[in-house]
Amino acid sequence: MAVVAAAAGWLLRLRAAGAEGHWRRFRGVGLARGFLHPSATVEDAAQRRQVAHFTFQPDPEPREYGQTQKMNLFQSVTSALDNSLAKDPTAVIFGEDVAFGGVFRCTVGLRDKYGKDRVFNTPLCEQGIVGFGIGIAVTGATAIAEIQFADYIFPAFDQIVNEAAKYRYRSGDLFNCGSLTIRSPWGCVGHGALYHSQSPEAFFAHCPGIKVVIPRSPFQAKGLLLSCIEDKNPCIFFEPKILYRAAAEQVPIEPYNIPLSQAEVIQEGSDVTLVAWGTQVHVIREVASMAKEKLGVSCEVIDLRTIIPWDVDTVCKSVIKTGRLLISHEAPLTGGFASEISSTVQMFNYAICCVELPLYGKPCSIL
Amino acid sequence: MTRAPEGDAEPRPRLPAVVTGHRRHPQHSMKKMLAVFISRVLRRVAQKSARRVLVASRNSSNDATFEIEKCDLHLLEEGPPVTTVLTRAEGLKYYRMMLTVRRMELKADQLYKQKFIRGFCHLCDGQEACCVGLEAGINPSDHLITSYRAHGMCYTRGLSVRSILTELTGRRGGCAKGKGGSMHMYTKNFYGGNGIVGAQGPLAEAFNMAALWKLPCVFICENNLYAMGTSAERAAASTDYYKRGNFIPGLKVDGMDVLCVREATKFAADYCRSGKGPILMELQTYRYHGHSMSDPGVSYRTRDEIQEVRSKRDPIMILQDRMVNSKLATVEELKEIGTEVKKEIDDAAQFAISDPEPRLEELGHHIYSSDSSFEVRGANPWIKFKSVS
Repeated sequence: MAVVAAAAGWLLRLRAAGAEGHWRRFRGVGLARGFLHPSATVEDAAQRRQVAHFTFQPDPEPREYGQTQKMNLFQSVTSALDNSLAKDPTAVIFGEDVAFGGVFRCTVGLRDKYGKDRVFNTPLCEQGIVGFGIGIAVTGATAIAEIQFADYIFPAFDQIVNEAAKYRYRSGDLFNCGSLTIRSPWGCVGHGALYHSQSPEAFFAHCPGIKVVIPRSPFQAKGLLLSCIEDKNPCIFFEPKILYRAAAEQVPIEPYNIPLSQAEVIQEGSDVTLVAWGTQVHVIREVASMAKEKLGVSCEVIDLRTIIPWDVDTVCKSVIKTGRLLISHEAPLTGGFASEISSTVQMFNYAICCVELPLYGKPCSIL
Repeated sequence: MTRAPEGDAEPRPRLPAVVTGHRRHPQHSMKKMLAVFISRVLRRVAQKSARRVLVASRNSSNDATFEIEKCDLHLLEEGPPVTTVLTRAEGLKYYRMMLTVRRMELKADQLYKQKFIRGFCHLCDGQEACCVGLEAGINPSDHLITSYRAHGMCYTRGLSVRSILTELTGRRGGCAKGKGGSMHMYTKNFYGGNGIVGAQGPLAEAFNMAALWKLPCVFICENNLYAMGTSAERAAASTDYYKRGNFIPGLKVDGMDVLCVREATKFAADYCRSGKGPILMELQTYRYHGHSMSDPGVSYRTRDEIQEVRSKRDPIMILQDRMVNSKLATVEELKEIGTEVKKEIDDAAQFAISDPEPRLEELGHHIYSSDSSFEVRGANPWIKFKSVS
């Protein structure tokens, strides 16, 4: 609730930006600072524990991919991996503890079904896991590496950034490790603390040559993971661990693809664009419905899905329509990916606003 | 004299370590044998050379047998053989290859000082026996990956001198189209050329995985005694690198003797091919240049030391003496090869400095594999490059 309220609190600050439109209604109304705060007074807030909250909002059952089954996030990942190993004889899955099914049960049953040469454990060495994965991918096999928690990916950072990302470029397309996919549980889970909660997507966003993808739901996860595995570039697929069990919805049994580098407009709106990814999408959806209900604000909610290369067009088009942008993510604020989105949007929309302001009649403000 | 053909070839049969040579004229053999014996005895009495160049048979222009240094072993019962047969054809090939690498590196040094080559340049002159001996011991279908001191291996793996020097000068005729430079040269079954190298953690992880899964991998340490500017004694708690594989067997090899490297490599490759798992080879060698062109190479070692290695252990000189003394080749023949190599290098250098640079449009290619081209920013945010792959 507090997180939702904090996000909604940002919306309130639009008053100060001098924006036009609906916001004029609130000027002079003199809303208390703690208007949307659940607690009685603002002074109590410092003493209260901030508890993570969100409600998973399933999407409607997809009809176009055949028969569906209720799956949670880890089951949808297992289904995607099962589909991959079935249709690609060179696909292998490896990582710490994947053989028995994985610490989050994402690889349950796969070793029995496909054999120990295709689903196997590695020693405890992330750098070795990714390095080994790069090597296998260079030979042409489809390598699906698991890093047990995204917090542990940093020993492999050199391999990812200096080797995997640059392999194709530095050899002039003679070699590549495009068939490498790295999967890793990501994001806060409530009890994870320092080393089981991190969201490191911003570190990798700084690196051309790789793709970083984060799904918000089981249906999204299976389609995006299959696209990552089939993509000809090394991909990192972060799975929000808090959704492994908490998120369940109807997911097609057969394989299907969701395109990478395409953001999804989950909900259309006209007053403000809200961008998020992973678990935070559900927080933002709740914010959007609260804003509609309490403030009469129509929010357009966008799930970014692919962090790099990100869908600049969808976000910018939306901001041109609404004139306002709010980006929300779990990762730390400084240097987080929101800063890249906001600076890019400001660059494009500043140009557009300067040139086309008379046509649109709307100033642009970014939070 | 032709080099090993490119592409897959039949695995080279292992030469037997026989002591007798091939005879051309059997009817004169007895008289010749006696003459050989006497002259050998006299020669042995006269010579006090530190170099062990013992010839067991004479008067054969086609091959000769040599003794090579015994390798120190770690976790191995047996090592490579201590004698080997060198045919004339092989000898001339190795000589030509080593001389080509030597001259190519010296030409690269010259071009660097003339500022035709920019950036980083790590030369391997002095270490020619390592790359040539290694290639002699493996098949073209084996896979090789190395560090930044790679020019010699680029050549032995099949890239022409012209494509290497042109890549160093950054022109479009280079093997990486001018975009890779010294540290990023690749060809079939050769994965570079790598600028990023890690010595401790990643290596230990690789050793562990290779041993655990019995991967057929030969780990080679070209020990030229200096880690950039730090001597081995000051950088390593244990300088017995061939033992650093711990649970992986290892060999210590005389890396200045191309035949020793060849035999050790064959031994190591056979070991791996038989399914016993990985093996480690330490090649004891020396580099004449500094770590890179920005390192004079004399602030952490003396010129005397460099000169001593040049005069006593130079790999090309060792092979040359062997071949001449055992009549596998004459001094004139080798000089002739030298002249041909010089011409090849000079022609290649001429091409390397006159070839045009790659087109600027290619700068952004192959960052991602993508069905449609997209734009990337360069140093100037308003100038975009199209990226195609």
